[in-house]
This record gives sequence, structure tokens and C-alpha cells, in this order.
Amino acid sequence: MRSHFAHLTLYSGIIATFFSVLSRRDRREQLRFGGLVWLAMAGGVVVLAYLMLPFPR
Amino acid sequence: MTEQSPAPGRAASEVPEGKIALALLTGWLVPGAGHAILGRVRRGVVFFVLIMGSFGLGLAHDGRLALYSPREGFLTGLQLVANVGVGPSDLLARMSVYGEAAYAVPDQSSPLYRPRIEKFRERQRSAVSAYGTAYLWSAGLMNLLLLMDIWDIAKRRKD
Repeated sequence: MRSHFAHLTLYSGIIATFFSVLSRRDRREQLRFGGLVWLAMAGGVVVLAYLMLPFPR
Repeated sequence: MTEQSPAPGRAASEVPEGKIALALLTGWLVPGAGHAILGRVRRGVVFFVLIMGSFGLGLAHDGRLALYSPREGFLTGLQLVANVGVGPSDLLARMSVYGEAAYAVPDQSSPLYRPRIEKFRERQRSAVSAYGTAYLWSAGLMNLLLLMDIWDIAKRRKD
């Protein structure tokens, strides 16, 4: 698998699931927390990528 | 995912030291197994799937199996800790990749130096190696975090 975006979503999913199960007991809380972590990771990278767009190497 | 809380009488009782040691050791050997020993079976299964999944993805994407080098002792030491955190699976991966239990860069005069470094660089040259390394090191670090979680559960600091 060579897609950077696919790795971004998959890796964020693994980390978000891990920390939600580690730190929350209630299933609803886990879903909420995991979703937030996933959004922060995946969404944060997309936002950062757009911010860097005007500054090519 | 909710799990059954410990029985009221059990909540206050201490987990015996031997059981804590067993849970920690087993948790390092098999990710998630320490939680299962402490009665958190479902959580243990989820952790096992996540950590071994991440480890498998790391190997499949030519992730870096770090070698300790005295020239960059601090950084390569940290990398090694992240690798070894996942348990004996790391040893099996090293046996498969390097053909031996390789944990350090041999001395340049050693006949082991060239083949080991070649293997190391060959994996690093892969286009997906950076992804693989992130998966591999995350797997090890997640397992180390689980050991601290096992300690907290055993000491009744969390359920």
C-alpha cells in the first residue's frame, strides 16, 4: 500500500482506537473520544497540508 | 465497550505481587495477555489485535528494525526500546530479516558488519519504509503503555 492518505487514515484509526479503549470504559464515550482523536490526527494533517500549499519546497 | 466491574469486595483488595509480575511479563510477551490475566479479557483481545496488526503492517512495509550504534547511542537506543517493546515478536522478526538475533551494529572489522548493514539499508531504501517504521515503533510503544496500564489496574488506580 503506497497511498499516503490510506496510511494516514489507517494509522490514525489504530491510534485512536487504542487510546479510546485504554482511557474510556463506556462504549459511547469510547466512540466519541476515538472519533475526536481520529479527526484531530487525520483532519489536522489535511489542514496542515493545505496551509503548507503556498510554500513548496 | 463496557466490561464488568470487579465485584465490590474485590475492588478494595490488592492484587497479589506474583500475579502482577505474571501479568506484566505475560503482557510483554503477548500484547493484551496481561489485561486478560487481570480479568479484562475483551480489552486484552482488542489490544492484541491493534498491536499485532500494527506490528504486521510495519513488517509488511519494510519498517526499520533498529540496530544500536554507540555512535548515536541515545537515538538508536530509543529506537531499539520502541522495537523491543512489542515482545518476542521483535526477535522473530529480526531472525527473519537479519537471519540472527541482531540488536546492534557490529564493529567495522567484524565479518558480520557488511551483511547486517546491507540488510538494514536495503529495507530503508524501500519507498514505504517510513510508514512501516511508524507502525512498528507504535506497536512497541503501545505495548509499553499497556504495561503501565496493567500496573495501574493491579494497584486499583483504575478499573
